[in-house]
Amino acid sequence: MTAMLQRQVGIFFALIATFMATSAAAGAAEKIVALTFDRETNTLFMARAHELYRSKGEDWGWTKIALPPGVQGNAIAAMAAPAKRTGVLYLAGPGFGVLRSSDDGRNWVARNDGLPSGDIVALAAHADQPDTLYAYIPGKGIFRSEDAGAHWKWMDNGPREGIGQFIHSNMPGSMQTGWLLVATPKGVRRSMDCFCLWQDAGELAAPVNAVSYDPREPRNVYAATAKGFFLSTDGGEQWTRLSAPTSRITAFAVSPAGAVYAGTADGGLYRSVDQVKSWERIGA
Amino acid sequence: MRSLGPIVCLVLTAGIAPARAGDAAPATIESELIASGRTIYQQHCAACHGARGEGAPEWRQRDAHGELPAPPHDAQGHAWRHSDTMLYRMIMEGWRDLFNKTGRLTMPGFAGSLAPQEIHSVIAYLKTLWTPEQRLFQREESHRQSLQPAAR
Repeated sequence: MTAMLQRQVGIFFALIATFMATSAAAGAAEKIVALTFDRETNTLFMARAHELYRSKGEDWGWTKIALPPGVQGNAIAAMAAPAKRTGVLYLAGPGFGVLRSSDDGRNWVARNDGLPSGDIVALAAHADQPDTLYAYIPGKGIFRSEDAGAHWKWMDNGPREGIGQFIHSNMPGSMQTGWLLVATPKGVRRSMDCFCLWQDAGELAAPVNAVSYDPREPRNVYAATAKGFFLSTDGGEQWTRLSAPTSRITAFAVSPAGAVYAGTADGGLYRSVDQVKSWERIGA
Repeated sequence: MRSLGPIVCLVLTAGIAPARAGDAAPATIESELIASGRTIYQQHCAACHGARGEGAPEWRQRDAHGELPAPPHDAQGHAWRHSDTMLYRMIMEGWRDLFNKTGRLTMPGFAGSLAPQEIHSVIAYLKTLWTPEQRLFQREESHRQSLQPAAR
């Protein structure tokens, strides 16, 4: 009786696994949680909670990157590609902290020394300094590494609303080396990277899922919110609503050429090459 | 003097030549530097940043002109987040908030009214307004920046 039950349970799970694999192959995908560009190689990386892909150039031939054992069973929350470092990618998420690959995702190394826990929900690479990273742990604050994640140092508590996602920008005018633009439940918040003062970036007053900027003109800041997709051309003071794909944007990235790539809650990937006047769905 | 903040005496005195027989002891030099800095601060900085470095009220919010009020320089402010080099540069050259709604500098520069040694002494004084943890943080930032290319 027991053996029969075990066999039936085994068949059940095998069917479930087959169904899930088939569904994934058919495109019933998880939401896209992070998108980032390796600007050196024009490679777009796309992360779902449990999957990671890359596409070089714009042929949309996606290559699946095997996740390291440390990630399996956990969910990816953030991803960052550093400036001026070809083949380097960072992954982060609650439970596994920060992982670094220097060979296009073939091998991964944990980089958590100095972090109080591995419960990272946001990760950003410095816009210009290749070995500088920022990581956010709820309740613990923002940590900075200047040696490619080998060591981390507490920098600030972050905005009181918390951080869902953030990005480092080289927009001019900082006392230090740039700015941090932060997606919070109450809008975009902004601070110079000396962490002197967190300020509201305009008056979006809505939950923000993601924020990024045009690397050709860093004062052009985009925000994906619960109210829609917005652009600010003055560093986050005034915002203009743009068109958006039908689904909720959960992550987006701006290419070196200024094209905007947006991932959605239903797993779709879209691109706009006309200053976000229109979108086209692309393979993902 | 508006905006920006402090530095630690230990860092400043690190740039002073080692004491020789007959020279004033380092501790004396430090205390003289700080005393000088306190006097200069009261003359040039206190009007905006407060007599005790407490800053302007509501300094986190832009005023009616769209300008950021002068922040504190004590432990409640953010001067301790900046390296010695950055503090010196800001006092010397001034600084304009990128989102300032007027054409004015957010903090005026003092290159025309303070000598380099006077600026160093003000910075030494500001460091006395911070917590030990903030002084340590700032010392590390100063060391870090000394190892990097010039900040933007």
